[in-house]
Amino acid sequence: MSEAVLSLLGIHKHFGGVPALRGAALELERGEIHGLVGENGAGKSTLINVATGVLRPDSGDVLLDGKAVILSNPHHAAKYGIAVVHQEAELFPQLSIAENMLLRSGLIRGAGGLIRWSRTYREAANQVAALGESFDVQEPAGGLSVARRMMAEIAAAVAEQPKVLFLDEPSSSLTLKEIENLFRQIRRLRDAGVAVVYVSHRLEEVLEISDRLTVMRDGETVETRPTSEYTLDRVVAAMVGRKLSTLFEKTPAPVRRVRLSVATATATDNSFRDISLEVKRGEILGVYGFVGAGRSEFAQALFGLRALSSGMIAVDGETVNIRAPRDAVRAGIAYLPEDRLVQGVFRTHPVRSNGSVAALRSLCSFGWIRSRAERALGQRIVRDMNVRAESLEQAINTLSGGNQQKVVFGRWQATAPRVLLLDEPTRGVDVGAKAEIHRLICGMAQQSVAIVLISSELPEIMAMSDRITTLSEGRLTGIFDPKTDTKESVAAAAVPRAGGEPTAAAQRRLGALARRLQFREAGIIAFTAALCLIMGFFKPHEFFTAGNFLDVLANAALPGIVAQGAMLIICAGGIDISVGSMLGIVGAMATMAAKAGHPPLACLALAAGLGCAFSMANGGFALLARIHPIIVTLAGITIYRGLMLLLTGGYEIMQLPTAYRALADGRLFGVPKVCYYVVLVSVAVHVFLRYTITGRRVLALGDSASAARLIGLSKVRLTLLVFALSGFLVGVAAVLHAGYYGKVQANTGEGMELKAIAAAVIGGTNILGGQGSALGTLLGAFLVALLYNILILAEISSYWQNIFVGGLILLAVLADMLLQRLQGARGG
Amino acid sequence: MRSAFLLREAALLLVLGVMFAAFSIFVPGFYDWTNVFDRTRHWVAAGLIAIPMTFIIATAGIDLSVGSLVAMSGIVLGLLYRDGHWPIGLAVLAAIGAGMAGGALNGAVISRFGIPPLVATLATMALFSGVATGLSKGRPIGNLPASLQWLSQGDAFVLRFGQGIAAPLPFSLLVLAAATALGWVLMHRSWVGRFTEFIGENEMAARFAAIPVPRMRLGIYTACGLVCGVASVLYTGLYATARPDAARGLELEVIACVVIGGTRISGGHASVLGSLLGLFIIGMLKYGLQMGGVKSEYLIILVGILLILTAVFNEWLFTRTGGKT
Repeated sequence: MSEAVLSLLGIHKHFGGVPALRGAALELERGEIHGLVGENGAGKSTLINVATGVLRPDSGDVLLDGKAVILSNPHHAAKYGIAVVHQEAELFPQLSIAENMLLRSGLIRGAGGLIRWSRTYREAANQVAALGESFDVQEPAGGLSVARRMMAEIAAAVAEQPKVLFLDEPSSSLTLKEIENLFRQIRRLRDAGVAVVYVSHRLEEVLEISDRLTVMRDGETVETRPTSEYTLDRVVAAMVGRKLSTLFEKTPAPVRRVRLSVATATATDNSFRDISLEVKRGEILGVYGFVGAGRSEFAQALFGLRALSSGMIAVDGETVNIRAPRDAVRAGIAYLPEDRLVQGVFRTHPVRSNGSVAALRSLCSFGWIRSRAERALGQRIVRDMNVRAESLEQAINTLSGGNQQKVVFGRWQATAPRVLLLDEPTRGVDVGAKAEIHRLICGMAQQSVAIVLISSELPEIMAMSDRITTLSEGRLTGIFDPKTDTKESVAAAAVPRAGGEPTAAAQRRLGALARRLQFREAGIIAFTAALCLIMGFFKPHEFFTAGNFLDVLANAALPGIVAQGAMLIICAGGIDISVGSMLGIVGAMATMAAKAGHPPLACLALAAGLGCAFSMANGGFALLARIHPIIVTLAGITIYRGLMLLLTGGYEIMQLPTAYRALADGRLFGVPKVCYYVVLVSVAVHVFLRYTITGRRVLALGDSASAARLIGLSKVRLTLLVFALSGFLVGVAAVLHAGYYGKVQANTGEGMELKAIAAAVIGGTNILGGQGSALGTLLGAFLVALLYNILILAEISSYWQNIFVGGLILLAVLADMLLQRLQGARGG
Repeated sequence: MRSAFLLREAALLLVLGVMFAAFSIFVPGFYDWTNVFDRTRHWVAAGLIAIPMTFIIATAGIDLSVGSLVAMSGIVLGLLYRDGHWPIGLAVLAAIGAGMAGGALNGAVISRFGIPPLVATLATMALFSGVATGLSKGRPIGNLPASLQWLSQGDAFVLRFGQGIAAPLPFSLLVLAAATALGWVLMHRSWVGRFTEFIGENEMAARFAAIPVPRMRLGIYTACGLVCGVASVLYTGLYATARPDAARGLELEVIACVVIGGTRISGGHASVLGSLLGLFIIGMLKYGLQMGGVKSEYLIILVGILLILTAVFNEWLFTRTGGKT
């Protein structure tokens, strides 16, 4: 049992000149549980990313079963049997748990290649049960607690029967019972021959579960030994064991009166609770804790980016009410964010404006930026912060990470803050820049600024702080004096207790959408029924007649067909507002062909083909330019309308051949023919979206493009497909439209896009993609037609019609947003 | 970066110059300053709206409702004057107010409820045009007073270049010039534009830099509505008639001006001057081709194609230069 299934040898990886891995090595044997530990920033995540194909190493070898391989992407790695469960599980929040688990390895299909949902659910439920869990696999994954998302993710990874499984902080949000289950499963996998890599900050757990242990520090693997040779103290020593480097030269600042005081602060999302602390003028308070301890959340709450449910903040003895970052800045609080790229810099903008943004308003007279003052500020930042930049005007993303960080630091120094919150100020920064940032921090302290220094690097905390406080799982767990207390005692206070109760934040339901869809259709039917009753009461003779209902049905039919296509595009995360004009031009072309004597069915095929081509051009250009389809389809509206005018000369096309008209006109068994078409199309789209793998992939793409990429779905192919389908339906609807009305006019199809999008949105399609229902869309189309009918019967001028369509779209989207918010709040 | 932007504007100016020269040579009757200036009266509405649209697109947003809003404001003006017997001055103010209210509705829905601008303004596009047709019962309102007409048709003064060339300068063109100057100062010389671009570049970082993102959004969409109100006054004055279907498809032309002008469709970088140049390029292209006998159907197709091609070109240029321009 000693052959290595996966070996990483001498891995180097740099990010913008900053080394993240410096010759790291990891050797995994078949059937072992391998613990991987290290401080934040030690390089664990980077190493995992290299092993799972997310990152390509600068140098070094990846050997699989002794053979060198190049892992070009995660999907590729998965094919080799390397699976990973990330701390932040990448799920499709709107798809069911079962689907999330089985979309990669294969949903269970029956006759005709259609998905068998009952068996799929049973299979998923079995896998969940095997993990000792008992949640409803039919629920949307977004409604799961973080703990259960993690279990679902593990189940999904296991379903692929990997050879190597990386678990990145799997237990950080699990309860003791859940961890026991997890451990049982991990041992089962090991016994089945899988190499499991277990990464965790909870050292006790790692010691309990692992067979061997690798300790990382500063991008290197310090040592790998059998776990039995370790004690907790030895692991901690190996993790933080570097000599306190001489980098940190703290100049003590005179510590005087209290500057910042926080009393029993608790977050609304419970990410931290009951935190009380004080920071004096010129004092540096170190805050040490692991990921998920609530450190950043606490700092962001002080800065007004998160809400407090209770607690009080005072600066210089004055209570401040902070509801937005501006209030914080006014109170003299500044915050240097943790994630420089996402939260800090405006990448393509110059150093000057990146540095001046926080103090910009004070550099203006009557709103006009005094450019000399701004330049002076920029120069001061570059000089004081020792930023290595060629020019103030160069884009900030041309600087190294450390220099970018110094500019962002300077941005806040320029506001002359009284309280400075520093969140991992030296993460991802090279050694030289690190020392300079430390010097800057000390400089700020000497100017009586109260400083809160958040860091997961213990030596930094020990060297820089006047006092240290530890946070663990949202609570303050100790106050230390760096001169008298040891770093081991600080680390011990910060280590989350094994199987401690998970923070409420972890239990929070993320964007719960539970069972919205089912309610949706019932809601539309109820609303429709109510409308009918009211109308029936006022206009019983006109409204409650078979003829009137058939009229409504027939009027709903053509928008309904177009709406199904629009719905598919929206599901995939796009939109097409040119379908109305497209219907016009395609209808005109097909009808002219019919008048030229071509058989009706050939004309129908022609229209469908033309629709496909036009629509794919829309989608294709959007993909090509990597812009939102709105721009392309907006242009499409006038292009198609112009072509239409050219083709018809602005005249109506009339006197259509009878056989052509018969495609749509007239009745079959007393029901207008167009009704059969819309039902047929709706059923087909329903089957596509609900029962085919491709349909589910369309939804997955719209739900989360990043998660879709991870499992290897092709955005280009799926986008082109939905555009093609929509074009096909537009083509069909165009011929039926011509046949039904007996003519094609220059403005045929105008406003159709609004009706179609309204029907889709009313029917519960998520406008941001990922969710949609053919049945709901059909009901939506019916509702729109019914409303028009009512307007006519109620003798409300048709001129007001558009108000109702626009209002309906707005109301449907608003209702969705409010519903989501409500559910989010209830879960939180 | 600044120089790259100036480069872009210089290129647009060159295109404009070449176009003007080409039309002057090849299209008989084109080279007549009086005609050219007269023609600009028809561009002013789109040009005015292109300025706030530049801000909106710079925040990575979009406003599809501008055409309907112009129609609605125009109808408000016409009805208040004809049926309400309001003095024309007050009716004009009310139209501007109606535009502003519509813009504020857009802004509120987008910034308060987090509805994507695309969907929100698609819905209000229908909404406003419904109000316009509903209020007017679908009929145009004519016979508006000459004073209103003067705003569009009147000339500020006559420009003279040397001997024998004299061209009356439309008053509305001066309005556009003033608005462009104001927009340019706001975008490129004040904190408003800076914050606007930052929101489009990285909304998260903007919030972390204490930029009041929702308030900025609300303000920008409201301002766009206000400008639509002003544009509706000029638009109405053009024919002395308020039409419920006025300004149809104006949103396309406006957005095309902005995109051709070099403002990034995904936000972060804007050029007000570019939008103005975009307006003149589209306007002159349409005018020149029309004079040359090209059917108007071809012209609207051309605007659409131009929009797509510049969007593709811009994105290509942006990625090719590593996102540095």
